[in-house]
Amino acid sequence: MGPRLSILRKFLTVAFLGVAVNAVAQATHTNIASSCAGCHAAESKWQTDTPMGRAMQWPDVNPLFKTHPELTFRKGAYSYTVDTKDQPTYSVTDGTRTITLPIHWSFGKGAQTWVLEKDGQLLESMVSYYPSIDALEITTGDQELKPQNLDEAVGRKLRETEPKDCFGCHSTGSVLKGKLHLETIQPGVTCEHCHTGAASHMVAAVQGEGYGTAPPDLRKLTSEDISNFCGQCHRSWETVVRSTWRGEVDVRFQPFRLANSKCFDGTDPRISCIACHNPHQDLVRDDSSYDSKCLACHAAKNESASGAPQAVSHRDAKACTVASSNCVSCHMPKVKLPNGLVTFHDHEIRIVKPGAPYPD
Amino acid sequence: MLFLGFFLNRDSRALMRSNSSRCRFNLILIATLCVVGFLPEALGQGASDREDQLMAQAAAARMQNDVPRAIELYSQVVERNPKSPDAWWFLGSLQYGTGAYIAARDALSHYVDLIPTAGPAFALRGLCEFETGEYSKALVDIQQGTKLGAANQPRNEQILRYHEALLLTRLGNFSAALKTYAYFAKDSISNPELMTAIGLAGLRMPMLPKELVQDQQTKDPQGKDPQSKDPQVKDQQELVSAAGNAAYRYMAGDEASAKQSFQELFQRFPKATNTHFLYGYLLFSTNPDAAFDEFQKELEISPANADADVMAAWALLLRNEPADALPYAQKAADAEPSHPSAQLVLGKSLMESGDLENGMQHLEKAAQLEPDNLEAHLALAKAYSKSGRKEEARRERQLSLRLTSGNGTPTEHP
Repeated sequence: MGPRLSILRKFLTVAFLGVAVNAVAQATHTNIASSCAGCHAAESKWQTDTPMGRAMQWPDVNPLFKTHPELTFRKGAYSYTVDTKDQPTYSVTDGTRTITLPIHWSFGKGAQTWVLEKDGQLLESMVSYYPSIDALEITTGDQELKPQNLDEAVGRKLRETEPKDCFGCHSTGSVLKGKLHLETIQPGVTCEHCHTGAASHMVAAVQGEGYGTAPPDLRKLTSEDISNFCGQCHRSWETVVRSTWRGEVDVRFQPFRLANSKCFDGTDPRISCIACHNPHQDLVRDDSSYDSKCLACHAAKNESASGAPQAVSHRDAKACTVASSNCVSCHMPKVKLPNGLVTFHDHEIRIVKPGAPYPD
Repeated sequence: MLFLGFFLNRDSRALMRSNSSRCRFNLILIATLCVVGFLPEALGQGASDREDQLMAQAAAARMQNDVPRAIELYSQVVERNPKSPDAWWFLGSLQYGTGAYIAARDALSHYVDLIPTAGPAFALRGLCEFETGEYSKALVDIQQGTKLGAANQPRNEQILRYHEALLLTRLGNFSAALKTYAYFAKDSISNPELMTAIGLAGLRMPMLPKELVQDQQTKDPQGKDPQSKDPQVKDQQELVSAAGNAAYRYMAGDEASAKQSFQELFQRFPKATNTHFLYGYLLFSTNPDAAFDEFQKELEISPANADADVMAAWALLLRNEPADALPYAQKAADAEPSHPSAQLVLGKSLMESGDLENGMQHLEKAAQLEPDNLEAHLALAKAYSKSGRKEEARRERQLSLRLTSGNGTPTEHP
């Protein structure tokens, strides 16, 4: 009974019993992250401020809106304004007529795109905010669109299944039984998004049944399965292949790129997404911090793989002949999306030859 | 206007009945395509004075619509110079126009031997083969022609897509046929024969609309008198047409109207095979739960319908219920061991239920049965990867990438 009492005490101290005692059906996603923090403090501490945790933001807590009271942009005949002084709005005008829509859903923590609603139709905003230029520009992927009138200039109409996909990845609780439910939306990726059953586990924990109801331990998945799991949003290898996205645009889809790497092994935990990235913490941008991950497989520069001492015999991949630090700076080069506004490390790990084209 | 009607066999005429003015406009486009598309390739060939003279006479005969004379003259040219591509082209296309499909096919074969990148010639040869009943060859040629740019005008595209869909149906590739017919529904192109054609694909009947009519005439030689028609035969035509109409509505995006049409179809033909399968198939991508219900209804009507078992298993896999999918997949694979989709869905069901080894065996069989089946290679890549067979996984990945390279426009906004 000791652990159960301990769990109960933690729950009481964070004072969310009122939420937890409801039936699972009523256990909304609101506050679930803070509720989970009662027991999973380390995982919850930073997660809400990660790019995933802020994959979608409400207007009143969107830092961009606080620092940029007005953003403007002009493309061709159309001028765009994102006014965030009071109720944030997105406007586009052709000089004679103006369409102004409220901003409810901001997608992204750094770069931001807005999903707008006009006459019952959801639209992806034609312009987005990019930190790299600290300004608005045409939304990634929409450069080829040529709006023929003001209505089209507002944004791209989302196709039938797109809203479900967009909200499904950028928020939690918006897709239930395959249907989009904007009324139950919780912005960003919260615990329940990845840990299905977290809400019912929380309720059970309060009732002293927590251990038997824990969601599946994702750390136990194989690298292949983790890749597919993360790929549900970051695009799995299969998704990208089926969709025939090719060229630099696919550098955004890390599970696809990683699986194309010669060293990818679906059963080796050293090459899984979570071997390098802790989804509960902010993205680490210091290249050298990943060296230990590479050296978990590759012998160090001064030790041959075959002659490695017993302690490092698992390091059976070749040593780099050039360096033993900042591996990703060479072997996972940064690639800009075709619009030049967003850069990603290419997760297709390889020996990059000067002048070689982007491998597809 | 020289090639007026060359692409216009009976099926395509029927297709265009609905809009005669647009039809005339498009005929001009086809004629333009034929002339502009081919003459530049034909020019520059060495030709004797006599050959030039014959070509000029043939062209004059064509201009005067004296087709027999033009054919005769072009025949003389190719006899003198079998390497005259433009003579072969004009000969083949004129012969096609007169219904001499075998001769036209052979002339066009000479042409594509000389100019192997001539998309319209492949397409026209495919249309000849369609008429001569060489359906497999016709499909290959029409697809090759399309790939090489023959569908470069809306009218040409309609004709080629329609024939491609007819051929896919005739050859038993019903899914691909329905996918092709969706183009017509989205563009609101409609006529009674198209409904029959869609119905045949939807109800998985490997025949052409004209064969359905012939089938009726064989069974009901007294068909001129509606009172004497065999009700079963008459019913079959109505069934096919009604199924096509309901599917057309769904593909056009009018789901409510489609639902109503399917309900009427089910009431009118409660025991008809593949009606529920068709509705389930259409619902599958957007509503797998409803699709699963339709597949189950289909299995109540025809328990041995392996396709329905396959699709029911897929629907359950989409719901992440691989254990429940297994019995359906197993039944389909037992009934039709050489059915690639049955092997594929069984392999995936086993793999996702945790039986990786047996799953891989069925996936390998699916890939053997249908080497270009992308889904089989995608599943194999995953299975090999999960089982630590790194090199084989890599091979399957590369194969999948090859299969999808050059597939044209990406399927959706990235």
